This record gives sequence, structure tokens and C-alpha cells, in this order.
Amino acid sequence: MTTTALPAGAASPPGPTRPQARRRPRATRARLAGIALRTPYWVLTGGLALVFVFPLIWAGVASVAPQPGSSQVDGWGLGNYATLMEYQAGLPQYLLNSTLVSTMTVLFTLVASVLGGYAFSRFRFPGRNVLFLLTLAILMVPYATLLIPLYVMLNAIGLQNTLVGLALVLTVFQLPFATFMMRISFDAVPRELDEAALVDGCSSFRALRTVLLPAVKPGIITVGLFAFLAAWNDFVAPLILISDSTKIPLPLAVANLRAQVMGIVDYGATEAGVVVMALPCVVLFLLLQRHYVRGFMSGALKG
Amino acid sequence: MPVTPSASPPTRPAVVAVARRRALHGWAYAAPTALLVVGLFVLPVLLVGQMSLSDWPLLAGNQGLNAPENYVDAVTHRFFWDSVVFTLKYTLIATVLLIGLGLGLALLVQESSRWSAVLRTSILVPSALGLASASLLFYALYSPQVGPLSPLLQRLGLADGPVSFLGTPDSALWSTVFLVVWRFAGFYMLLLMVGLQGIPHEVIEAARMDGANRWQSFLHVTLPLLRPSLALCTVLCVTGSLLAFDQFYILTKGGPDNSTLTVVQLIYNVAFQGQNDLGIAAALSIVVLVVLVVVNVAQMRAMRAGQED
Amino acid sequence: MATHRRASARLVASFLAAGLAGSVLAACGTSSADGGTQEAQVSAEGVDDGAELTLWTRAPLEQQANLLVEAYNASHENQVELTVVPNDDYVAKVGAAAGSGGLPDLFAADIVYVPNWVQQGLFADVTDAIAELDHADQINQGHLAGGTLDGRQHVLPFVLDVSVMFYNKDLYEQAGLDPEQGPTTLAEFSEQAKAVDELGGDVNGTYFGGNCGGCLVFTWFPQIWAAGEDVMNEDGTESLLAGDTAQEVYGVWKDLVDSDAVGEGSKEETGATWTGPFLEGEVGVMPFPATMLATADEALGEVGVAPIPGPDGGASTFVGGDGIGISKDSENADQAWNFMSWLMSEEAQVEVLAKNGDVVSRGDLAENEYSSKDPRVLAVNEVAAQGRTPLAINFQQAFNAPGSPWMTMIRNEVFGEGGTVEPDNEEITAVLGQ
Repeated sequence: MTTTALPAGAASPPGPTRPQARRRPRATRARLAGIALRTPYWVLTGGLALVFVFPLIWAGVASVAPQPGSSQVDGWGLGNYATLMEYQAGLPQYLLNSTLVSTMTVLFTLVASVLGGYAFSRFRFPGRNVLFLLTLAILMVPYATLLIPLYVMLNAIGLQNTLVGLALVLTVFQLPFATFMMRISFDAVPRELDEAALVDGCSSFRALRTVLLPAVKPGIITVGLFAFLAAWNDFVAPLILISDSTKIPLPLAVANLRAQVMGIVDYGATEAGVVVMALPCVVLFLLLQRHYVRGFMSGALKG
Repeated sequence: MPVTPSASPPTRPAVVAVARRRALHGWAYAAPTALLVVGLFVLPVLLVGQMSLSDWPLLAGNQGLNAPENYVDAVTHRFFWDSVVFTLKYTLIATVLLIGLGLGLALLVQESSRWSAVLRTSILVPSALGLASASLLFYALYSPQVGPLSPLLQRLGLADGPVSFLGTPDSALWSTVFLVVWRFAGFYMLLLMVGLQGIPHEVIEAARMDGANRWQSFLHVTLPLLRPSLALCTVLCVTGSLLAFDQFYILTKGGPDNSTLTVVQLIYNVAFQGQNDLGIAAALSIVVLVVLVVVNVAQMRAMRAGQED
Repeated sequence: MATHRRASARLVASFLAAGLAGSVLAACGTSSADGGTQEAQVSAEGVDDGAELTLWTRAPLEQQANLLVEAYNASHENQVELTVVPNDDYVAKVGAAAGSGGLPDLFAADIVYVPNWVQQGLFADVTDAIAELDHADQINQGHLAGGTLDGRQHVLPFVLDVSVMFYNKDLYEQAGLDPEQGPTTLAEFSEQAKAVDELGGDVNGTYFGGNCGGCLVFTWFPQIWAAGEDVMNEDGTESLLAGDTAQEVYGVWKDLVDSDAVGEGSKEETGATWTGPFLEGEVGVMPFPATMLATADEALGEVGVAPIPGPDGGASTFVGGDGIGISKDSENADQAWNFMSWLMSEEAQVEVLAKNGDVVSRGDLAENEYSSKDPRVLAVNEVAAQGRTPLAINFQQAFNAPGSPWMTMIRNEVFGEGGTVEPDNEEITAVLGQ
């Protein structure tokens, strides 16, 4: 990321650590003034960071803290996680289901959006704009109403109550973002690159594979990551589409666990569930931060 | 399928053949997308359309044609206008806050210092959570039983008694808005940050040279150049907010006293929580879909017109 | 459509072939709303031949359902596989499946929804099989009536839940009340609640699900019944909730709210946590689900139990819980009946349900090995046998749904200005009569 001297409100006076300032006799005073000026900035930004991180930290702490009405009544410990571990088909099964669904969704999304983005960016064919607009229109439909028709459709192709069917449905809801992202990623790659490959006698697929794919890698990572996050966390689609208790993914299991007994929410188990659901996402998100920021950047040029 | 006008007028047969082969390849690459879109979006939407014209109780299935009663029932539903007004209000608040805050944050974390990176990351982290998980988390945070916020506010002297976060229409709305801002501010910050990076440094320097102060150069140089990014954010935010469901479903269920009932929550209620009438729910969905398409087309037009200025 | 079934390998072709026509056909195939006409040909015992049966229930009944299924699976060739669905989404789940013939063999339903679901034809007719049962006349009448349409029966009670008054004996003692004597009129209830509320601190007099239609029908209807009045006409098409007794009941609660004897969060309580504060020992007295007796004892030591009184005495209860039936889509109706008939056996009722502290669904088993140890359980069982289950086709929409007209009425009367009982009641009638 490049440094810029953009107007950042009142909050960015010249940094006190500039080397040329150091050698000057007034350095100390300047530094003090800098710190004085900077203090409100640090307080403000520190508070801001705290606001954003606090709920997550609280969930982590509360999930192991003693709490009446949960599985962790006395003292600190992993009682809530133990409950989660043994709930119904067991946490490992739910994690496995969620992993399978998310992996398949990422895979389907990548295949469809990379090929689709390539087609939309590099080829002219009848129906191109219609298809692209239709894909974006997926964003505009209330999710809740589509579920019954989707259930009907999956039944019609024999994929009812399967994780593959669920992953296909989740893929469709990823397509607007994924296709848009891949299209602008391809658009940002200079045409000369693949045209040169084509002139060299490469097939269009080979050009895609060897020349373009490396160039759009940040886009691919971004799309994959967001597909994973969406699939990992989705609750409504599996609720309607999956009936087997051994096939349900984690969010649905946590929802069940939350209100096991009438009129009591097991907050402890809920917090443990939120932590287990959030952990892989946060880790992936942090690990891939550099890449998806670049993924967004590559598209930004075109707005 | 309507044929889009070809880019280059064919002059020689060879060119036509090449263009045709390219088109064929294009279709081949677009085929997976097309299959998914047609099979799991277009057909289901058509089925929703059919439902909206039929008497279709949830538990009994299609009972035959029933047009246009569903549409009449939909717009005369006792909560229809309330939910429309609330949804618009929520959309306005969420969009203004998210984009304003997103822009502010983007400007704040611009520098490439270590502290900025930490700041950026902490603001982005909530985006990793699903909206449903985030809502569950805030459900606990706001809970009168285990939530830490109410005692915290009392200890800080900001509140006299226990704070009821979801108890009154206003507090429920703002509590939900807070959750949404928490969850999405990072995402919009990222989009706008990327937009800011795309503005050439020299342009702003030039404005400074001409004697513009920070505020002026921001207003007259940065903001106009940021327009495409702002437009993209607005489109995403407006569409997302108009379709808001998960956060209200988990936190308020449309309460208290139906004061936080969004249109999609109303659709869900009509379909699954009482009336169990898929026909009316489908009619409402079609209305929402049409409105969204119109709104988005209008926004994109405006965006394009803005770019041509 | 059969040719499209094996299409998972030929996804692409199927998408195009199944097309719109296919999808519409599939959705049209199950359009019988004329009530459960199909009849399961079953004997008293049903068939136990090692079939795999599927059973759906909602999350709040998970504990009881698990125990029952475990006990059944251990002693039978048939094996039941249980699927638990979040409470608030159960209708959506069943609805999606019902439209496409995907219901499980057996499924439970909140008893107040049963009349509607029976009318929509979701359950198979089991009238003759029920008649064959040894103790048919002892089965809870409220639940049986809920599943009866045109004289044909479709459901049996799965898990019963009745509402009774719970009070915290410790808090009663601290407040100088008699811990062995619960309220016998609503006036006493109010006095005792206020007395406990005087203790201050985290302690409140009472608590209720002020934003939860289901909780309120469960706990407040009995207060009206106890005075010998009805909440609806016999067909369940007209609301009688604007009567003098009903208004007296609302008045008692409004007074409690106004005098701040009600716990924090009551007003926005959507039902997700409505029993929580009492179990944490912060509430003096409130109408409560009897299924929670064991849980409450565990949390608080022995809790006091009394029947729910009316304004001037009397007693009644709401017989809630879930009914269970064989679905219209089941291909194993005989095997499914085997589970249902076992459910009515002494083994299931006493050795599973009563042992777990739950209410039994057979009047003749009210006094059993486990209930006789605890007079409170015995009292609950007896009150259950005489309790009432309100029946209406549009019950869910009129009462339980978020934003139902019943909710609007209670909130106007108890938290608001009041004075709109008549028009609010008419709104309920309008929904009931749809």
C-alpha cells in the first residue's frame, strides 16, 4: 500500500518520526507537540478498534466464563464446548458437513465465475449482456421466497437433501459478486497479454490457464474467500434444503442448540457456537488479507 | 435470446467465421454460469411468478389460478405500508451511516503505518462473520440477562437503570443499525479505500498547489474522483438494506409492536409464520424484485450520467 | 418425473429437461387440501420389521423426543431417526417438504397448529387404529380433539405440556409469605408478587413473555377459563377475549406492570428466554410450563406449584405440547404406527416420560411410580387431565405469529393506554374467521 498525504481530517499532522526533524534542535519540542496533537488521534482510533473487536473478544471470554443456565455454571472452563461436542451428531460431524459444503461451494463458484468472468471480459456472444445482468439480478431477490422453488428444483434433479445440492444453491447466491469481481479482474489485465498468447497459437483455454490465471490470482482468492465465508455461515438454505440430522451444517446445529429447552436460551452454548463458527473465518480472513485487498484493487481501476 | 449487436461489422467471411468461433467459445465459457443462473435462479423466479398468480397455501400446494387477488391482498396487508416505510427508513439510515463511516474510516487508515494496519484489520475482522452469527452474537450482547453492555453503560454513568436495547421501537432500530454498521463498515471501508488508492497523487498535490485547503481539495477533487466507488457502494448498500432480513429476524422478529418489520420479514411471516400463504408471499416478492430492478437501473443510470459529466 | 430422479449424474441435461414444466408439475402433484382422506391400514400394534423411520420435531421438545426415540430403538426392530428443527422455523421446514411430498414418516406439531395441519391433509387418518388401542378412552382428550376432523382422528399426544403457577419458596419465605401456600386467586397472585418485589435488588415479583403470543396464550388463557369463561367460540372462529373476566385479567397484569413488580425485559421478551429469570431465582411467582419442574428444582431447590387461578379463584390449565401423526407421504405407515402405539404404552408413558418428570398423556397413568413420590407431579398430572386445549384453524396467525392481533391487544391493554379492547378483539375474530 502506498503512502499518501490525503486529507485525513484533522488527524494527520506530519509524523513526529520524520528523520529530518530528528536532527534539528527543536526536535524534542516538535515531538512533544506531535504527541500532544496525536493523542486525540490515538484515543479516537484506539477506541474505534476496541469497538470493533470487543464483541468478538467478549464472545470468546463469555464462552468459557461461568454462567447460570449454561453448561458452564461453576468456574471457568470448556463446558459449553463439551456440550457442543456431544450435541446430536456431534461437533466433528457438523464441522465435516460445513467443510464439505463450503469447499464445494468455493469450487463451484470458482469454476463458474472464472470461466464466466473470462467469457464476459474477453468474448462477444449473443446474450452476453442479458446473462450478465441476470446474474447481477440474483442480488435483488428476497432470499426467503426463493427457497421453496429451489427445494422444488432440487427435487426435480434428484439433489434434494444432499450437500451437493445445497452447495449449488449457495453457489448461485455467490455468483453476482463472484462474476462481477472476476469480470473486472480480467478487464484489468491488458488484452495484449492473452492476445500475444493467442497469436503464438495457444488455444483460448490455454491462454486463460497459463497467462491470465496468474494475473487474476488476487481476484480468485477474493472470490474464493467470500464464497467460503458465505457458505460456512449460511443458515437459512440448509434449514429448508437438508432434512437429515447427520447432514446439517454447523450454523443450523448451533441454532438448534441455542433454544433446546423452551423459554431458555443457552447463551453459553450460543457463544461457544459463534466462536467455533467465527474462528476459521477470522483466521482465513487475516491470512488472506493482503490478497483480497489486492483483489479489490485490481477491480477498482474500472470502478 | 436477443442478439446483441456485434462489435465489428463483418467485412470478410474469414472475419465472420472467427467471430462466430469466438462467440461459440464465449458461450462455452459462460455455460456453467448460464446453467446455474437458469436452473437455480430464472426457473425458481418463474415459479415464484406462478405462485404469485395462484392460490398457493404453504401446506397444501397449488390450488389453481388466483390472479390478481394475491397482489391486492399483498398491498392491502395490514402491515404492508408500515413495513415499506420502515424498510425505507432503515435503508436510508444504514446507507448514510455505512457509506459516511466507510469513507471516514478509509481516510483514517490511509497511512501505511503499523498502527493504521492494526486499525484496518480490527475494523475488517467483523466482516469475516456471517450476518447470522453476528446477529446471534449481538443477541447475547444485548440480552438483559447476560449482555455486558447494559452494566457497562451503567458503570460508566451513561445510563441510570438497565438499558433495554430491543425494548422500544427506536432502541431496537438503532441497536440493529449498530450491528449492521459493526458488521459491514469494514467492507465499505475496503471498497472506498481501494477507490482512494486509485486517485492519482498528483491530482491532489496540484489542487494544493492551487491553494486549496484540505477540505476544499477533498470536496472538489477527491470526492468527484471517488464517484464510481461511491456509486458501487451505494448500489450494494441500498440493495442489501432493502432486502434486510437476518438481522431483524434474529434480533427483533419485527418487534416490538411490529415497529421493525421489514418487507422481507413480512414476506417470511406471510409465508411461514401464521398466514402460511405462499401466493401472497410470492406476490410481495415480485413487487420487491420489480422495485429493486427499477431502483438499481435508476442508480446505474445516474452513475453513468455522473461519469459522463 | 421419475426419469429425472436419477439425474444427479446428468445434472446438465436435467436442468434443461426438467425445466419449468417439470418444476411446476412437481409442485402441483400434491394439491389435496380436502383433509386426510388416505387411511393407513394398520393394526393395533402396527408392524415391527426393522424399517427405517424418520421423525421430525421442534427443538424445545428435543430432550423428550431423544429419550423416547432411544427407548423405542432399543426395544424394537424398527429404527427411528430423529431430526430436530429450530422452533421458529419448523413451519417453514414442514411447509417446504409438504409441498413436494418430502415429509418424514412421523412428525410432531405444536398442538395448536394441529387442526390446521390436519385440515391441509398433512396427517394420515388413524381413527381405526386408535380405536384398537387398549386405553383409547384414557388418552388426553384435548390433543385427540385437536387432530379430529369430520369425526376422523389423525394425531396422538406426543409430549404434553401444561401451564401451572410456579413460585420460589425461598423468596416467599424472605418476603414473609407462606412457602407452602401458592396463590388461589389472581388477587392473591398479585399481592404475593408485589410482596416478593419489595425484596428489591435483582428480585422481581413476576415475569411474562410480553412480546410472545404463544407464551401468553399458554399462561393467560387458563386465568380466563378458571372463571368458567371461554376464550373463543366452539368453532374457533370468534374471539371472546373482550369479556369482563378477560379484561379483569389484563387489569391485574397492567397493575403489576405499572407498579413495577414485573422483571426487566418482560416487555420485549419474545419467548426465547421467558423462563430464564425465574430459573435464575430472580422471580417470585409466575405461570410456568410444568415440563420445567425438574429443571426448576435443579436450579432452585424445591419450587412451589399451584394451579393457575382466575380472578376470583377456580383453576385451569392449558394443555399444550405437541401432537404426533403419520405423514401423508409415509411409505411405512404400518411401521410408523408401531411407534405411535408404543408411545401410548405404559412403558413409554411411565418409564420414559414420567421418569423424566414429564406429564403423562393417559389419564389412568396419572398416578404412577414416579408421580406418587411427589404430590406436585401428581397434582400437575391431574390438572392436565382436566385442562383445555383451544382449537382453531387459524390459531397460529391469530395468536402465535409475531405481530398477531392478540399481541397487539395485549400490548395495548398492558403496556399501552388501553381502551381498545373491542376493536382489537374484532381484529382477532377477523383473522380467526378467514
